[in-house]
Amino acid sequence: MYKGTPSRIRKVLYTLIIAFALLCVRLVFVQLGAAKSLSNIASNQYRLVVPLLPKRGVIYDRNLKELAININLISIFAEPFKMKDKGIASQKLASVLGLSRDEIYKKLNQEKGFVWLGRKVSPDTARIVRALNIKGIDFIKEPQRAYPNGVIASHILGFTDMDNNGLEGLELKFDKYLKGVTGYRYTIRDAKQREVPGYEYKEIQPIDGDNLVLTIDSLIQSFAERELENGFKKYHAKGACIIVMDPFTGNVLALSNRPNFDPNNAKAAPPDFRRNRAICDFFEPGSSFKIVPASSLLEEKVVKPSDKFFCENGEYRWYGHTYHDHKPHGWLEFRDVIKYSSNIGTMKAAQRLGKDRLYKYIKKFGFGEKTGIELPGEVNGITTHPNTWSKLSLCSISMGQEVTVTALQLACAMSALANGGNLVKPRIVDMIQDSTGNVIQKFELKKPQRVISEETAREMRTILRSVVDSGTAELAEVEGYFPAGKTGTAQKVEPNGVYSHSKFTASFIGFVPSDNPKFVIVVIMDEPRPFYYGGVVCTPVFKKVAAELMSYYKIWPKEKEVAEKKKKKPVS
Amino acid sequence: MDKNPNNYCPKVLATILMVTFVAVMYVNQQALIYQMGLKVKQNNDVYTKLVDHNKILVYNVLNLRSPVALERRLLAKEVELSMPSKWQVVKIDHSPKKLVLNYKNLAKKDPLANMFVSGR
Repeated sequence: MYKGTPSRIRKVLYTLIIAFALLCVRLVFVQLGAAKSLSNIASNQYRLVVPLLPKRGVIYDRNLKELAININLISIFAEPFKMKDKGIASQKLASVLGLSRDEIYKKLNQEKGFVWLGRKVSPDTARIVRALNIKGIDFIKEPQRAYPNGVIASHILGFTDMDNNGLEGLELKFDKYLKGVTGYRYTIRDAKQREVPGYEYKEIQPIDGDNLVLTIDSLIQSFAERELENGFKKYHAKGACIIVMDPFTGNVLALSNRPNFDPNNAKAAPPDFRRNRAICDFFEPGSSFKIVPASSLLEEKVVKPSDKFFCENGEYRWYGHTYHDHKPHGWLEFRDVIKYSSNIGTMKAAQRLGKDRLYKYIKKFGFGEKTGIELPGEVNGITTHPNTWSKLSLCSISMGQEVTVTALQLACAMSALANGGNLVKPRIVDMIQDSTGNVIQKFELKKPQRVISEETAREMRTILRSVVDSGTAELAEVEGYFPAGKTGTAQKVEPNGVYSHSKFTASFIGFVPSDNPKFVIVVIMDEPRPFYYGGVVCTPVFKKVAAELMSYYKIWPKEKEVAEKKKKKPVS
Repeated sequence: MDKNPNNYCPKVLATILMVTFVAVMYVNQQALIYQMGLKVKQNNDVYTKLVDHNKILVYNVLNLRSPVALERRLLAKEVELSMPSKWQVVKIDHSPKKLVLNYKNLAKKDPLANMFVSGR
């Protein structure tokens, strides 16, 4: 066939055959060996995956009023390699973004393809920057958690970080429910890295976060916070907290701490301000703890309310230690021991009970263990076993020393007296709903445990009513509603282990109305000044909150009883 | 078989025309898809913008309605509200429906009675 062809043509032909053979080899290599990696490189050049952010769940109060919602804000970023004159751009941006020119210039001169200039800026700022029309500056929308009530319920709600991850409070505890699942849109992009619309080849829809419905009532929370704030400021306290609770269900209606913070700008507040003192701080309760030995004594029937105790005229020496009453008393009936908060009378009565039985009731009232509320960071408090008690311990514990509790534990213990002797488990989250409103999880009321009999609880309510009526908590009286409660003033322990004479924890735990309790209110003030008695600094807060609660729930005062009481009381 | 090249010409031309037509249609279709996608994106952007604006307005409304803000405004205007006492509250036992019926009955009995209920 090729016999007649000239040799030059043959050479060209051979060359072409060899070249073709080489190409075939290369083709086989590309197709079989490197196909996958090359295909990936090619697809990465034009494929684009756009994350679709889910909406974070809304947090509602018990009346479905929004406490935490989401808004979209604009974040501003720069692509420095696209920018021409970075100096002028920095100058223009500095005044709008509230940063120095040098700071922006430094950011723009980094060897990065992407630099944040401002995240989640206000719509006005974004509008002004957009109007500057600087090449290389672009905008992206980001969801931002917003708390329309500001500081209200800040310790309950907590806050989120820049990327909407829960960092504190319920935002942290229920983060996995609230945050939802990110979706993705798979599409293609053009040579300028822009998404080509209409070429989406796959889309996975985001799943929005679930909503939380709380037991909190934002209005009760609001006036509880207002009154706590007033007391906190008036008595220059280092810290304070208030809890309003339904004694029958354990539903927390309000919980607030001072100092507080605005969750819309949480990082502006020091960490100490963000601590939920009502559950994270434990303290020696002082006399407000006397409800425990008193209930135990009556329940065990080792003491009757009419039994008399000699209160040593205010000074009692026991195993080398001298105990004092804040006012000297002689002989007092047991009911008056509690009414006037006599330490000496209480410790003498507690000796009839013995350390094992006292410890049993301390545990039964739920002290020394977490209440199980759906908030992060709850502490146990400290209750030591009787085996480790000293000879003074029984006396000290009966008057609220050598034992530490949280405000919430006190609220639960007082609820047991208010509701007829059952220890309820507090709860702050009522249910979790999905984004369409279907209930996913309902936090049912936990079965209460009986601590004392109904009879003992009734007896205790009568004694605690007398504390407000004519005892140490007269300032807590709300006319027509007959509240009851117990004051407490505890010396704080100095770092050297000695009880301080200048630092106190004042408390008042009470319920209202005393004959048919609807609400338990706990008020704690840490280091109030210049007054430090619980009956002085905490009772006015209790009184105002109790009065507003009664009005809010349209519970009318008992005018007949008030008139009768006025008749009975001599005019002073 | 007819091997005259002139006979192939119309067929080749027809094929080329067909292929060109299909190609043009394909490009046109792609352009339409792009345009539609762009329009959808623009509409979606407007929708998202309005939704975002709505969210911010809702936030502002909630902010204004929050008990703290209301209280602050009332205090600034020195308006002090308090819950009414029991004696200041009048309870009406009739539902509005019953009230209307009663007024109608009244009107039937006495046409002049209407003058007392007009303006309800």
